[in-house]
Amino acid sequence: MTRSTIKIKTTLLDHQIAQLSAIAIGLSLMESVLPSPMPGVKPGIANIITLYAIYQFNFKTAMWVSVLRVFATSLILGQFLSPAFMLSLIGSMLSLLTLYFVIKLPSKFFSPIGLSVLSSFAHITGQLILVRIWLIPHASIYYLIPIYSLAALLFGFINGWITYRLLKHHNSI
Amino acid sequence: MSTLRKKIVLKLRTKFFVGDSLIILISLIFIVFAFKAFWHFETGSVVQVNFQGNTYGNFSLFQDKKISLIGKEGESIIEIKEGRARFKSAPCKNQYCVQQGWIHFTGQMLICIPNEVSIEILGKSKAYDSLNY
Repeated sequence: MTRSTIKIKTTLLDHQIAQLSAIAIGLSLMESVLPSPMPGVKPGIANIITLYAIYQFNFKTAMWVSVLRVFATSLILGQFLSPAFMLSLIGSMLSLLTLYFVIKLPSKFFSPIGLSVLSSFAHITGQLILVRIWLIPHASIYYLIPIYSLAALLFGFINGWITYRLLKHHNSI
Repeated sequence: MSTLRKKIVLKLRTKFFVGDSLIILISLIFIVFAFKAFWHFETGSVVQVNFQGNTYGNFSLFQDKKISLIGKEGESIIEIKEGRARFKSAPCKNQYCVQQGWIHFTGQMLICIPNEVSIEILGKSKAYDSLNY
């Protein structure tokens, strides 16, 4: 019997995606053990990596990092295909979609801070819509909109600021 | 020490971005608007008194009135005054209903289970029923 080795040819882009994803997964896992005052109110620090990727590399890299992070984190935490996973997925997808458009805005006026705020608003919008039509089909969740919006602004700002500092440190802005 | 701190502060200073400020400003306006739109509490006008499983009656909140109900445990007194309602006294041991004080927003409710009395504030539109939901 001859031993066969399967060798996958990896590109530099693959390595970059893998490295960034690893950091994002690590951050997500760290965040998952943090206590939260309300279900769903989380800092979303893994989004720093997505933002960093879109600035430092391109949208495709950011998309891969984000998707891999969502799938890997849910598999590690045993939440794959659970409501938590679905919420995470739809949030990230809408966030990415928003980033796809807003990254085209002139960087003279818009920094990662503004983009981060917009993407966290997109994140929470997707989640609230999913909760409304699937998990809690009741109008009472509208009570939560102000709280989640406030959290989105606060954490979006902080994450954006951290990304800004990171990019500045790496001389990419 | 202080020069070091100054250096750090200077290093952390972020450039001013017009677009970002605009985004944050719009977000803040939206949040204020959302708080006003979704967290408004309507002052009720009528209190519904339920006694032993049936509606005992609806009473306007704009009157001074005391309602006395004799239940299994004894006498519960409901007081209506200045657009608010409360349990003035209850015969039960815990006195939960009395201690909750006055209610006046639509959907607010006080319940005395031992004596089978409950009161609920009603308004033009019924607020979300958090109890049944």
